[in-house]
Amino acid sequence: MTSVQMPQLGETIVEGTILKWLKKEGDAVERDEPLFEISTDKVDTEVPSPVAGTVTKILVEEGKTVPVGTELMQIDDGTAGGVGDAGSGSASATAPGTSEIPRASESPSPGVTDTSSEPTPPPLTAVPTGAAAAPLPDRGPRSQILSPLVRRLAEEHDLDLSRVQGSGTGGRITKKDVEAVIVAGGTQPAPAAAAHPSAVQAPALSPMLAGAGEEIVPLTHIRKAIAQHMLGSLQSSARAWTMVEVNVENLVRLRERSKETFQEKFGAKLTYLPFVVRATCDALLGYPMVNAELRGDDLVVRHFVNMGIAVSYDAGLIVPVIRGADSMNVPGLARAIADLATRARAHQLKPDEVQGSTFTITNPGPYGSVASVPIISQPNSGILSLDAIQKRPVVIDDAIAIRHIVNVSMSWDHRVMDGEVATRFLARVKQNLESWDFGELLGV
Amino acid sequence: MPREAWLIRPGGLVPYSEANDTMHRLAERRLAGEIPDTVILLEHPPVFTAGRRARPDELKWSPEAVAARGAEVHRIDRGGAFTFHGPGQLVGYPILDLGPRPDVVRFLRRLEEVVIRAAGDLGVELHRREDVQTGVWAGDDKVCAIGVRLMRARVTLHGFAVNCEPDLSWFDGIVACGLPRNGVTSLSLVAGHTITVDDLRPPIELHLADVFDLELEPADEPAPALAAGR
Repeated sequence: MTSVQMPQLGETIVEGTILKWLKKEGDAVERDEPLFEISTDKVDTEVPSPVAGTVTKILVEEGKTVPVGTELMQIDDGTAGGVGDAGSGSASATAPGTSEIPRASESPSPGVTDTSSEPTPPPLTAVPTGAAAAPLPDRGPRSQILSPLVRRLAEEHDLDLSRVQGSGTGGRITKKDVEAVIVAGGTQPAPAAAAHPSAVQAPALSPMLAGAGEEIVPLTHIRKAIAQHMLGSLQSSARAWTMVEVNVENLVRLRERSKETFQEKFGAKLTYLPFVVRATCDALLGYPMVNAELRGDDLVVRHFVNMGIAVSYDAGLIVPVIRGADSMNVPGLARAIADLATRARAHQLKPDEVQGSTFTITNPGPYGSVASVPIISQPNSGILSLDAIQKRPVVIDDAIAIRHIVNVSMSWDHRVMDGEVATRFLARVKQNLESWDFGELLGV
Repeated sequence: MPREAWLIRPGGLVPYSEANDTMHRLAERRLAGEIPDTVILLEHPPVFTAGRRARPDELKWSPEAVAARGAEVHRIDRGGAFTFHGPGQLVGYPILDLGPRPDVVRFLRRLEEVVIRAAGDLGVELHRREDVQTGVWAGDDKVCAIGVRLMRARVTLHGFAVNCEPDLSWFDGIVACGLPRNGVTSLSLVAGHTITVDDLRPPIELHLADVFDLELEPADEPAPALAAGR
C-alpha cells in the first residue's frame, strides 16, 4: 500500500487545494499517470502516481484545502505500506525528504493501513500531533507550522517567536511577521504593512464601503494618469487665460463648398481643426515663446511645432502628437489628425506618438461649449481651445450682420510669457483664420 | 557548468493558441527527456487569458466589445486571474524541468530576478512586492505579470510577460491579476522614454542564462507552428 500526500512545491507553500480527482477508487493507475490536480497560492499542477497499482481510497474531497503532507489517497501496489515516493524516483507526490524520515507507524503488516495513513509532514515543520513539534508555546496546530525561512530569520535575529503575532492562515507566523518585528527593533510586534519599506508605497487603503445608492468604482489607470497629470500641471504652472473672437464666415463657406471634393481627393473628412492647426503653427513660429518649454532656469525655444491634439475616447483623454506639424499643409494635417484620432480610439497608438508635443490644441466645440479654460499639458507653455462655431449678430462697417463666429482661447503659462505675447499670438491666429485664402491652401 | 537549453524566438505576433499548444507539446517532450530545457520569447496579438481563479466579472468588457477591438479571450490551465498580452509586451515561456523535488517558489523568485536585472540594465529600477503578489513592480503598479503551472509536478508551463510599450488601456478591460487596487504600467512609462520589446530581449536572454545557469542556443528543430508566426 502506498499513500500519496499533498506535495510540497516550495519551501514556503504550506497548503494546497484539491482541484480535481482524475482517478476514482477502484481505478487502475500506471506509474507517472496523473492522479489529481492541485492548486497552491503560487502554482497549479497535476500530480503523477509514484507507483503502478489500484486506487483503494480517496481521503480528501475536491475543493478541500489541506496542509502539505496530508495523506490524500492510497494506492494498492502490492507492497506492505509506505509513503508515495519511497525509492520510486518520482518524489513529486510527496513532500521533499519525507522518505528519509523513519516513521513509527510503519508496520510490516499489510493490515495496519489505518496508522500509516497519518499525515506525514514535511521535514522541519511542526507536526500537528506534536510528535516532532518545535519547542513553541501551543497556539493551535496551524500556528506551529513554521517555514524554514521564518525559522532561519528568527535564529539570525535572536527572536523569541512565542512573542510574535502570526498573521498567516490559522495564526501561522509568516516571513512578513518576522520581518516586521525585526524592522521594529526586534521587540514589539509591528503591523505587517511596516515590513515593506518602499518610499513610493501609497498609504494603506482601508476597504471602501459603498453607502446606499453609491457604487465604488476603482480608477482606471488612464484616469489615474490624467488626474496626476492635470493636478501636476496646475500645481507647477502659473496659468492665465485669454480669448479672441474669430469671424470664420469665409472658412465655413469654403468647407461647405469643398468638403465632398476634399473627401474624394484626399480620403479624409474635412473638419475645421486642420485649418486651425495650420493657422496656429504659423503663429507659433512667429511667437516662439508660446511654443517654448521652461526647463529649470532655462527656456527651450523651438523653431518647429509638434502639435498635440487632445482626443477623447472610451478610456478617457489622450493627446497624440503630429510631429513637424509646421511643415504640413491642410490636407496633410487633415489626414494626420484623422489617422491619429482613429488609432487613438482603437487603442493602437505607440508611446512615442503621445510624447514630445510642443503645443496643444483641444477642440470641445463639437460638444457645444462656447468658452473653455483648459489645463496646460505639461511641459507645454500653452494650450489653445477651439470652441463651438455659431452664427452671431456682429457689427461690420457700422451695420449689423450675421456671421459665423468662434471663440478661440488659450491657457498660457505666465512664467514663460506675458499677456502681450499671448494676446499678439492669438491675434495672429485670428488674423490668419480670417484673412488666409484657404481655397488656395486646399488646392480646390 | 551551464546546461544546454533551447531558445525559440519566433518573429512577429504569434497567435495565443499556437504558442499555448506548442508550449504544452514541448513540455510533454521535456518530461519525456526528448528535448533540453527550452525558453520561448515572443509577442502575442491582443489576447486576454483567464487563469483558473479568474472570475467572469473581472472581464469588464462584453465579448462583443472585446471582439470589436480585435482581441481574443482564452481560458487556460494556469492558476491566477485575468491578464492581457499584446504588441509591445515581451512574453517568456520557460519550459524547465524542476526535477523530482521542485521548488516552485524559488523558480518564481528567479523569474522575477531575471526581469529585475534586465530592466536594471536598461536603467529602470523594479522590485518585488511579495506582500501583494508574485510579479515585478514599479511602486504599486505591475510591470511584469508571472503565472506558472507545473506539468506532472515538475516541468514549468506559462511564464512571464513584461510590459515594454503596450497600449495599457487594454488593461482597463480586466481586473488585472485579480487586483482591483493595483495598477499596471510599462517599462517605457517608468523610464520616461520608449523601451521596445527588441530593447528588452537581449538583457532578458542574458539574465535567463545567468540566473538559471543555462547555455541558450537556437533550437535544433524550430517549432514549426511558431516559426510560421505572423
